[in-house]
Amino acid sequence: MQWVLNAIIRYKNFLLYLFLLSISLFFSGTQSEYHHNQLGKTSLFFAGIIHQPFSNLSSYLDLTKENKRLQRENNLLKNFVLNKLNDEELLALKEKNIEKSTYWSLPAKLIRNSFTKSKNVLLLDKGEQDGVMREMGVIGTKGIIGIVNQTSQSYATVLSILNLDLKINARFKNSNVFGSLYWPGESPSIMQLADISVINPVSVGDTLVTGGMSAYFPEGIPLGTISKVERPENDGYYDIEVKLINNMTDIKYVYVIGNNDRTEIIELTQ
Amino acid sequence: MTQYYTRFFSLAFVLILLQILIFDHINLFGFSNPAVYLIILIVYRLTQDQFGFIFIGFGVGMTLDLLTQTAGAHSIACVSTAFLRPLISRFSFGANFDQPNAMFTGTLLTNRILYLFLMIIVHQLIFVFVAYFNMAHFWIIFKHTFSNTLFSLILIAATINLLQSKK
Repeated sequence: MQWVLNAIIRYKNFLLYLFLLSISLFFSGTQSEYHHNQLGKTSLFFAGIIHQPFSNLSSYLDLTKENKRLQRENNLLKNFVLNKLNDEELLALKEKNIEKSTYWSLPAKLIRNSFTKSKNVLLLDKGEQDGVMREMGVIGTKGIIGIVNQTSQSYATVLSILNLDLKINARFKNSNVFGSLYWPGESPSIMQLADISVINPVSVGDTLVTGGMSAYFPEGIPLGTISKVERPENDGYYDIEVKLINNMTDIKYVYVIGNNDRTEIIELTQ
Repeated sequence: MTQYYTRFFSLAFVLILLQILIFDHINLFGFSNPAVYLIILIVYRLTQDQFGFIFIGFGVGMTLDLLTQTAGAHSIACVSTAFLRPLISRFSFGANFDQPNAMFTGTLLTNRILYLFLMIIVHQLIFVFVAYFNMAHFWIIFKHTFSNTLFSLILIAATINLLQSKK
């Protein structure tokens, strides 16, 4: 018995190291199921409190730039309304009960952006009290940003599309060819499109939009354009590089997308 | 000793805040961020008990993991660096490894730079490898480790020089 105690005392540093390493590995191993972690909500609470004041300061300093961006976006929407809808359609749109529409959006502010890690996680200033729930889609002015991963009362984390764990269902804008869009882990503006068979015609400049095959995003939200296509000799699938439309390194304001039919879709697909 | 720990933990608190609010957002060349908080593990007295130091490494890593949602990568890198520090200090300072403030006095500049470099590269290699955890990303791991190490080395050396001149 004495020699066991002696060994424990002698190798106490190594044993402590192994013990703490195991805790860290366990913590790391639950990363893809991060929202199940009991520590998650506490960490989100503190991360939100620390990042919020600095985000407020940087938002204040960027107000001029942001106003111009919002003006451009408003102008774009105004043009869309003026060109696409006549008076009757506008009236019908006003009368339409918003509760009955499938998708709704909630404006939110990113209080922490991240694009240099392998599994980038963003922080939003909206949480459960604003109606944000896990697995809701998040889009920016030009395209998609990610999926809500975890929520607390006032904050939410978002798995960025720049995350090695995430795959997005994508479709070519001008055809019904579907594939999976994923981030290979290098440039924050370049993604890869997988599962596109060589029997389909693909060319540089083609636009990709969301496929609408999941409950996260409505169909047709822009994702990016094809920047490079290679056809491997012994493979039936293309190697396709996609340039994202959104600049993921410069995002401030986003929209959380809710789907009123989400529960029904999930129940049916399970 | 109480005064030393008060100063040490105050420094640790400030460095962690600076890391998450400033240094994690530098994005040099679009991807490189310095790990300035490593100063906590570098300047902790070499003669202090290693058992406590491993706990400190774990605490620093876990705090950063929780505040930056990196889930484990900082903890594994910090606790491993804390465990390996006696080996690194013996290798770097040779006979002078038992100088309590070897980073500030009683050692050669070349030894200090070697110690700094090894501490940073060991930490960054483990951190980036755990973050990607796939050898298919070998070049990204190499690129990030190399650039982060160099960037951190410059900033940490400058900061330690500042701390030293204050002393």
